[in-house]
Amino acid sequence: MIICIILLPIIVGILVPLLPFRQRSHKEIFLEGAVVLNSILVWYLLLHHSDSTFLLAHFTGDLNISFRVDGMSMVFAGLVSGLWPFATLYAFEYMTKEEHENTFFLFYTMTYGVTLGIAFASNLLTMYFFYELLTLVTVPLVMHTLTREAVLASRKYLYYSLGGAAFAFIGLIMVIVYGNTTDFILGGVLDLAKIGDKTNILLLIYVMAFMGFGVKAAVCPFNSWLPQAGVAPTPVTALLHAVAVVKSGAFAIIRLTYFSFGTAFLRGTWAQTAVMVVVMFTIVYGCSRAVKETHLKRRLAYSTISNLSYILFGSVIMTPLGLTGALTHLVFHAVMKISSFFCAGAVMHQTDKHYVHELDGLGYKMPCVFGIFTVSALALMGVPGLAGFISKWNLAGAAVDSQNPLAYAGIACLLVSALLTAIYMLSIVVRAFFPGRDFDNSWIQTAHDPNWKMLLPLFVFTVFIILFGVHSQPIVNFFYEVANGVY
Amino acid sequence: MYLILLPIFFPILAGFCLLVCPKKPDRKLLIITTGICLVVTAMLILCTLLSGKQELTLFYLTRTLPIYFKIDEVGILFCLLTVVVFVGAGFFSFVYMTHEQKEKRYYGFYLMVFGVLNALCFAGNLITFYLFFELLTLSSMPLVLHTGSREAIMAGLKYLFYSLCGAYAGLFGIYFLYHNCDTLTFTAGGVLRTTAIAAQGEFLLLTAFVMILGFGVKAGMFPMHAWLPTAHPVAPAPASAVLSAVIVKAGVLALIRVIYYIFGVSFLRGSWVQTAWLILALVTVFMGSMLAYREPVLKKRLAYSTVSQISYILFGLAAMNEEAFTGGLLHVLAHGLIKCTLFLAAGAIIYTTGKTRVDELRGIGKEMPLTIWCYTIVSLGLIGIPPTGGFISKWYLALGSLSGNIGVFGYIGPVVLLLSALLTAGYLLPLTIQGFFPGADYDYASLQKREPHKCMTIPILIMTILSVLIGLFPNILVDYLADFVGTLF
Repeated sequence: MIICIILLPIIVGILVPLLPFRQRSHKEIFLEGAVVLNSILVWYLLLHHSDSTFLLAHFTGDLNISFRVDGMSMVFAGLVSGLWPFATLYAFEYMTKEEHENTFFLFYTMTYGVTLGIAFASNLLTMYFFYELLTLVTVPLVMHTLTREAVLASRKYLYYSLGGAAFAFIGLIMVIVYGNTTDFILGGVLDLAKIGDKTNILLLIYVMAFMGFGVKAAVCPFNSWLPQAGVAPTPVTALLHAVAVVKSGAFAIIRLTYFSFGTAFLRGTWAQTAVMVVVMFTIVYGCSRAVKETHLKRRLAYSTISNLSYILFGSVIMTPLGLTGALTHLVFHAVMKISSFFCAGAVMHQTDKHYVHELDGLGYKMPCVFGIFTVSALALMGVPGLAGFISKWNLAGAAVDSQNPLAYAGIACLLVSALLTAIYMLSIVVRAFFPGRDFDNSWIQTAHDPNWKMLLPLFVFTVFIILFGVHSQPIVNFFYEVANGVY
Repeated sequence: MYLILLPIFFPILAGFCLLVCPKKPDRKLLIITTGICLVVTAMLILCTLLSGKQELTLFYLTRTLPIYFKIDEVGILFCLLTVVVFVGAGFFSFVYMTHEQKEKRYYGFYLMVFGVLNALCFAGNLITFYLFFELLTLSSMPLVLHTGSREAIMAGLKYLFYSLCGAYAGLFGIYFLYHNCDTLTFTAGGVLRTTAIAAQGEFLLLTAFVMILGFGVKAGMFPMHAWLPTAHPVAPAPASAVLSAVIVKAGVLALIRVIYYIFGVSFLRGSWVQTAWLILALVTVFMGSMLAYREPVLKKRLAYSTVSQISYILFGLAAMNEEAFTGGLLHVLAHGLIKCTLFLAAGAIIYTTGKTRVDELRGIGKEMPLTIWCYTIVSLGLIGIPPTGGFISKWYLALGSLSGNIGVFGYIGPVVLLLSALLTAGYLLPLTIQGFFPGADYDYASLQKREPHKCMTIPILIMTILSVLIGLFPNILVDYLADFVGTLF
């Protein structure tokens, strides 16, 4: 079953350019049907999962490719499979203005399967395999427009990701050498007897592996690929560079920290301090760059950098509460950010405007899009009653609870970042809705809201932003149980 | 039981409907609708207040974070002020706003701010309060930038970011309080765990200071006061009235809630936090008056005056004794009514003459006698001349600071207050003097009576009368306050 849902999107993707569709709508129905079917299968699997491990291939020793459904994979796979059908629907409309549609959908759909592979991997080697695969299938998506800028961006993306994975590989080796197994077990697999006096070396390796996986999670100083990769079509930027790819990085770091090295080994060491400082710096750095950036999508990309580090901040607190906070933000941020990216995409699709200062007065011409954008902006700022408040509340609560003075400073970083978020998001909203007295609106007369294929995903995400904000209890409880190893 | 929700959500929803309604309505219809909404909300508030003490848990954000409303004495006081000011300024704007554009947007946000302020008064715990505190900033920002000039938009953004900065400093404190309190429900005397005070006392003091600074932003306290003189004058006059009279009071209410109902006075009295707060408040009092004295533009001058006067209230709160606290609350009412009247009078002057600088207004008292008379009477009140409202509040403030538990500030305080009162006379009365005694070279021939429309003069008149009544019959209020102030100490 697991292997089935990983392979289905990959096969469907390969079929797209091969099958002779007579009309575009047939292709849309075929793709959307396949993606929805796969999502249903994923959810069915999550709800009826068993604890057994599915072994696909056995190499040598205890090195094998195998899959299992545990709490973490339920969170990540559930998130990805919830978002993908909507993103595909949005992409149909968005791609009408782009070329090479078949290639795009080929790789876009394949990525779904690969991401699920990361989610369901039951050991470090499997995860590493799919992690590399993810880089390879998403490079063509970044390169999509084939402009010089896009080619450069995709080259950078490729080098950064592969380089990061190489560092992560060192971590993998060390876990193989000093651990009992490479399987993911909450609490870690390191064997203290084997480590002996090599604790510091192992901590160093942890930091290297953290930064290695951190490349995908856009940790400073390895974040410059992400804003550049914004040249890709918006469905890619929104789903992959705000959710699937970058959160694979965060997901891998959580796996590494909680399930391989173990928090008992890391908590209170210099390694924790080191990574926490890096993460806190990234939180503020990302936001500051976002304030400075005037290109709409790049601004959101910088915002993603900052928010990813919120997730990492939660995970490097290294307590179950911290992990709960991290998972909450992992899911909630995905919904908020994909919503704001889709709004940006809708604006670009409808008006061909790419810069913040070109958005004056558009709020009156595209009320739905900018209304939704406002909701997602408020949610990202952390206004109570919307999703962002709950996740920040959980993160800050975990930081206070950890009694770690550095984590207290982290809370201050979160709040500084919240203020900067307000600045870079609300200045857009204010421009759109309050353009000022002498504003000449002749050029935007023709602008209007996009059609239902774009609006439906936006509305659904908005509903979820509000729902998570006012009634978060069930889902946060679930995260808490995941963080405590109930599943 | 659900009655308490009506005065909160009725105006918010009404305002929201006005905003999203796509058709441009007839001006008359718009004004009638807004008028009805304002009056209905006022009625709803009265009904709610008359039906006794109510509480309501609406829903839970997380398992331990309820959205909870409760009516208590402080809330009632702020709520009554809000109603009077909002209805008065609302009727004023029906005429004033004819010379501004986009009235629908203005009234929409005006009603929303009304509802949000009611919610702040009725909020029963810190989270509910914080929620509406953020909403207050967001919904009042469009009032600031309403005129749409570049200056107004920049002022709106400045207001927004200063306020959010303050709110986030408050949130920083809330995170820590949540872990050191059994509940965040407002309880007279505070809710800090004694074990937490023993274990983390120093850190909690720091938290309290950060929260004072944070919520002090909204109250225009030094060093984060700079937004106030920028933002208040650029708004349309009735909006400035509302901003200066009640919205800054949200910061005061926040500080009352945090210090008196969460931390508890006994924890903070005598600590360095109290000293620091007293110093900041006194610095603001003096600095605000000084800046107002130097300012030639009338509305800006009034905005600086707000900076100074709000810190009178903060000084009363920071002194942390019963008399000073009573004085602070009395000054909330007195300053609210007076400052609203002053801004409305300034608006009436701008509306009729188009002049904004004080030195252009020679002879204005001959042209608009009623308005300038009201202006003069409330000015005397703000200076603190008996028998107006300002006198009583300052009396109690001075009494409290002299009662001797704040050391050297007991003497410095009254001196600064008196100096500032002198400056207040210096910046408010020139308009009266020039207005009524324009001098021999004034051209009496060109003089014409141009008292503004009734919709403008009546609210001004009513609020002037109310502010005098507070001064004439202070005992009703003082007795009312005495009933519960004791429980806080």
